[in-house]
Amino acid sequence: MDNYQASRMREASYGHSLIPPCQVACPLHMEIGEYVDLVAQGKVLEALQVIRDGNPFPSICAYVCTHPCEDACRRSQVDKPIAIRALKRFAVEFGGDRMIQLEAETTQSEKVAVVGSGPAGLACAYYLRKLGYPVTIFEAYSELGGMLRVGIPQYRLPREVVDTEVQRLIHMGVEIKANTRVISLDLLFDIGYKAVFITVGAHQSLRMGIEGEESPGVIDGATFLREVNLGLKPSLGEEVAVVGGGNVAMDAARAAVRLGASKVSILYRRSRAEMPAGPDEIEQALEEGVETMFLMAPTKMKRENGRLGVTCTRMELGEPDAGGRRRPVPIEDSEFNMEFDTLITAIGQAPQISEDFRLRIGKGSTIQVDPVTLTTNRAGVFAGGDAVTGPATVTQALASGRQAAFRIDDYLRHRYPLVDKEAEETLSGELSPETIEMIRKTERLEPPILPPEARAKEFKAVELIYNWEAAVDEARRCLRCGMGAEILFQDKCATCLTCLRVCPYHVPYLDEGGTIQIPADQCQACGICVAECPARAIVLRKPYDRRHIDEELEHALKSAAESKSKPLIIGFCCQYGLFGTGALASLWRGGKAGIWIVPVLCVAKLEGEHILRAFEMGAEGVFIAGCGEQCSRENTAFWVLQRVERIRRALSQIGLEPERLQTFNLRAAEGDTAEALDNFTGQIGRLCLASVIKQEVKS
Amino acid sequence: MIVAEQKPMEEIRRVIAPYERVLLLGCGTCMTVCGAGGEREVSFLNSALRVAQAKSSDGIHNFSEYTVKRQCDFEFLDSLADKVNEVDAILSLGCGIGVQVVAERFPDIPVLPGVNTSFMGMAKEWGVWDERCAACGDCRLAETAGICPITRCTKGILNGPCAGTKNGKCEANKDMDCAWILIYKRLERLQQLDKMRRYYPPRNFRVIPRPRRIVMKADVEPGEDNG
Amino acid sequence: MANSLFEEKLNSDGFLVTTEIGPPKGADVSEMVHHIDLLKDKVDAINVTDHQSSVMRFPSLGGCLLVKERGGEPIIQITCRDRNRLALQADLLLAYSRDIKNVLCLTGDSVDVGDHKEAKPVFDLDSVQLLKTAREMESGKDMAGNELKGVPQFCLGASVHPEADFIEPQLVKFEKKVIAGAQFFQTQGIFDLENLRRFMQYASQFNVKILAGIIVLASARMARYMNDNVPGIIVSQAIIDELANVEKGKGLQKGIEIASRFIKTIREENLCHGVHIMAVGNEGIVPDILEAA
Ligand SMILES: Cc1cc2nc3c(=O)[nH]c(=O)nc-3n(C[C@H](O)[C@H](O)[C@H](O)COP(=O)(O)OP(=O)(O)OC[C@H]3O[C@@H](n4cnc5c(N)ncnc54)[C@H](O)[C@@H]3O)c2cc1C
Ligand code: SF4
Ligand code: SF4
Ligand code: SF4
Repeated sequence: MDNYQASRMREASYGHSLIPPCQVACPLHMEIGEYVDLVAQGKVLEALQVIRDGNPFPSICAYVCTHPCEDACRRSQVDKPIAIRALKRFAVEFGGDRMIQLEAETTQSEKVAVVGSGPAGLACAYYLRKLGYPVTIFEAYSELGGMLRVGIPQYRLPREVVDTEVQRLIHMGVEIKANTRVISLDLLFDIGYKAVFITVGAHQSLRMGIEGEESPGVIDGATFLREVNLGLKPSLGEEVAVVGGGNVAMDAARAAVRLGASKVSILYRRSRAEMPAGPDEIEQALEEGVETMFLMAPTKMKRENGRLGVTCTRMELGEPDAGGRRRPVPIEDSEFNMEFDTLITAIGQAPQISEDFRLRIGKGSTIQVDPVTLTTNRAGVFAGGDAVTGPATVTQALASGRQAAFRIDDYLRHRYPLVDKEAEETLSGELSPETIEMIRKTERLEPPILPPEARAKEFKAVELIYNWEAAVDEARRCLRCGMGAEILFQDKCATCLTCLRVCPYHVPYLDEGGTIQIPADQCQACGICVAECPARAIVLRKPYDRRHIDEELEHALKSAAESKSKPLIIGFCCQYGLFGTGALASLWRGGKAGIWIVPVLCVAKLEGEHILRAFEMGAEGVFIAGCGEQCSRENTAFWVLQRVERIRRALSQIGLEPERLQTFNLRAAEGDTAEALDNFTGQIGRLCLASVIKQEVKS
Repeated sequence: MIVAEQKPMEEIRRVIAPYERVLLLGCGTCMTVCGAGGEREVSFLNSALRVAQAKSSDGIHNFSEYTVKRQCDFEFLDSLADKVNEVDAILSLGCGIGVQVVAERFPDIPVLPGVNTSFMGMAKEWGVWDERCAACGDCRLAETAGICPITRCTKGILNGPCAGTKNGKCEANKDMDCAWILIYKRLERLQQLDKMRRYYPPRNFRVIPRPRRIVMKADVEPGEDNG
Repeated sequence: MANSLFEEKLNSDGFLVTTEIGPPKGADVSEMVHHIDLLKDKVDAINVTDHQSSVMRFPSLGGCLLVKERGGEPIIQITCRDRNRLALQADLLLAYSRDIKNVLCLTGDSVDVGDHKEAKPVFDLDSVQLLKTAREMESGKDMAGNELKGVPQFCLGASVHPEADFIEPQLVKFEKKVIAGAQFFQTQGIFDLENLRRFMQYASQFNVKILAGIIVLASARMARYMNDNVPGIIVSQAIIDELANVEKGKGLQKGIEIASRFIKTIREENLCHGVHIMAVGNEGIVPDILEAA
């Protein structure tokens, strides 16, 4: 009975965080908030675990994902989005993702064929193996990876990364048939496959449809990049033009630079603002000396005297099209001529599906599928990736591969498709101006990159990795969307307005009916109101696997009791930042006898009862170590001190020296925390001795 | 709201000393709002008492805690009936009313007060409460611009400030506003200073003799003329 | 017809001088008697304070009886702090029956400033109500409207604070006291004659006598202490400076000098109707002051 109310609270506070917008935007719905938070705690292995739970090939995504999550990140309403992809890269590199060995057991008998080894195919094979199916991948080229191998250049995705994933799949028991172009699906069924996943990509470059397109010296981007990636060194001459404004155009231009072309120009029919390529890609291309020519389009080409004469017309921007981009309109009589050695066309690709597959083809030559089940018009044939969507992204391809694996499983198990439980609540809504105003602005930290001069002549990876400190600081910028406070027990709320008064971000408000509301989309999850609410009606929406402070405390107390070292000192230490690995590392390793650390996710979440509990269980001293004013949340130090004062008062009322409770600022510029801690330990030792003597005298 | 303050730990420990099993009983209304005896305070007190017990060797208590929505009406206490059978005393963190209602509801068990019920007031800001009404039973706020001189003037005088006011503060406490200066300023602003010039006779302390009772219920018998 | 010697003087045009005596803490009244003897012939009346600053002492009524006994003219100070309406009326009856008819009606300092901080403050009445009560008793009825056997008559006074930092509400109250029946006012200590002058411009419209309060300061430290701790008192910076500039040990002498100077000016310039000298514990020096003035 005594803990009925407390346990009601604990049970209720698990696992109902709202899905943050970054996660919604991620095609794989990765738990971004969660792993970013783990990086902020310096827990890189745990972060990697969360990443791996949501992504079959995180190392690949860490290099090339177009990070739609960052476009959705709410931090951009404050300053700049969290560098989510770069943080993932940090986690996979420092967490040792490529060392991880995977095994899979075969528990099902139905063989599945995957046609195409791009990311969609690899992901599908990966999950099918995990589900226990025998899987064979058929790939027309000699090497696996699809566009990861023959599209994306090495300086953005080193080949070893793809190799590792392929090796891992082989280790998991995936059968690989390279150099094998599938020409008939019937044949696959004939040789015993029960289901087929078609993921042949979109490799057919679109034609510009102008005179002279067939001339020597004109090459399409996909073919050019494939040749480059397969190690052929196509000769380009000195001056190269690339037509198009997407990522393929950028990659072609940058590859051309690396192949030694002295002048590379991008011709694009709109202006820079409309370019579909990622801003980073454009930026890096410019750094490497690529030139841009906007608002022009080739209309005619002719090969003369070993050079390519290109006639262009100038364009202007007209009305926006259906997609919202302004349509380029040719300006009359604006034609002019230029000369190049080579012209690379990169205006888009489309899938090319063999008619023999007898699949229903839709718009843009893509395979038509049911969007939920990925089934085609043929029984047992599923399709996904670029072949279904047209040119898209790696992560979208991975997501469709994963989806296909589960749908194929449903199909083979004769199950009604178990659709993803998307019923979970998502977080939506803009941050209010008052909230934004209170959030401290912090600069987005970018990972280092190779200087342009170091990258122009080779295909070495351009982007480097964060160091620990930068990664942790960048991760600490996350607003922890959807992990915030919630009044779980409206029946308990006494409408005392404490939460409204203590919230540094002015989040709680009184609605017209006189009920206090804590809008989830504004809360910064600092936890101050949670610890202050006198009715204990508020909880933080916690991610599923995070331990409560009281559990951590009980754990520490138990270990301490076993070790019997004296005097017992409990330290509640903030886990954000590098403290877990930095200043307190020696304590962690039990270097100082008698000190037991209870990790907390910000000391502002520490409640008076936790501290008293430590004393009750025999602690002679307790300290609280946070980062003071450097906390990523506001006013936390103030509230910690409020609670500390309160407990000191209680301690002295029950005859304990108030100095037994101390606070330390782990990030204080001046003063050596280790020394201060030593003094504290010494002091506690003396207090302890004095009270022992007092007891003896008494008896 | 009723505002109270938790009693010093020493006094609480003294009053519970004779009882082994003690139920710490919080109140989910006023005592929660004023931070003296809501669920958090109950659990804080529980922890503090346990620490005190662990650190000294006097008396082994068995504490349990519970918080009801309100202690000042019998119906809220019904859920306690079973729990009360398992303890030797109740330490109520309800206001004085709560303590008495609990005592009346459970005649066989000692009920001890854990807070000092102090006044009726409001939160000035987080963690600061101010008295506002003395429950005098004869409200005069209409004449004093909505500022109660009986509560907020240390002398409770009715005809204007004493000569002790300095810097707009009270002679009894330099941090407290002089109620009469506030009244004057507000009356002036409302252009009602004539209300201050009026003579106010001594207060009627016999509004209703203590203990007071208010009866809203009419004394009717159904079925006579109307029902 | 005057009720008392003092009232008679009030009704004349003479310059009035009163002073006050604080009764002892304890039953030994010899020093008080000594002071009474010293002062009784030099002033028009002697106030006896009523637990001044809420410090418990020998009672005001007892002190007044002693003044009477020694042949002086007492003014009893009655505050509302310690007695409810029954006790106040009873004390008024007792005073009257002993021929103590000059009554200074005061609200009284708060108990928080005194030495019995845990006492229950009464304040059943305030000063205005006390004045009115005394006046009503003169018509033969007590507060409850019951007939009195033997009807008292008083000469009623009150206090006013011309130096209050926010004067308007004080003036409102002053007027209420006049209407309630105050015949004379002894003001709080005056430290800046300009304040008195300004106050008199306002007060002269009423048919009451104003006696300016003169507090004798013994040092700059005392002045500062009073500013911080004594209700209502605001010693001007000019006076503090003046006191601070004398050599050690000469403070009281300076205080006497200042007080005399004030009295002289008030009298010569006819600023108000008299003075009320408060020597706070130095009652013995009052004759010196008067001499110097
Ligand atoms: C130059 C370039 C750069 C890009 N950069 C990025 C980037 O930075 N970030 C990003 O997210 N996306 C990028 N993309 C897009 C991304 O690579 C694709 O969206 C993704 O690879 C699609 O995966 P997929 O599995 O559907 O097809 P693909 O990767 O195209 O793989 C299809 C595979 O099927 C094989 N195949 C085809 N037909 C048959 C057959 N009949 N039998 C057997 N095998 C067959 C092909 O040989 C190929 O290997 C880029 C694309 C290109 C071209
Ligand atoms: S702030 Fe954090 S949780 Fe919120 S959208 Fe950005 S990365 Fe996701
Ligand atoms: S602090 Fe708690 S009890 Fe008070 S209004 Fe907020 S939720 Fe309700
Ligand atoms: S105090 Fe912190 S946790 Fe509570 S509502 Fe405000 S931001 Fe959210």
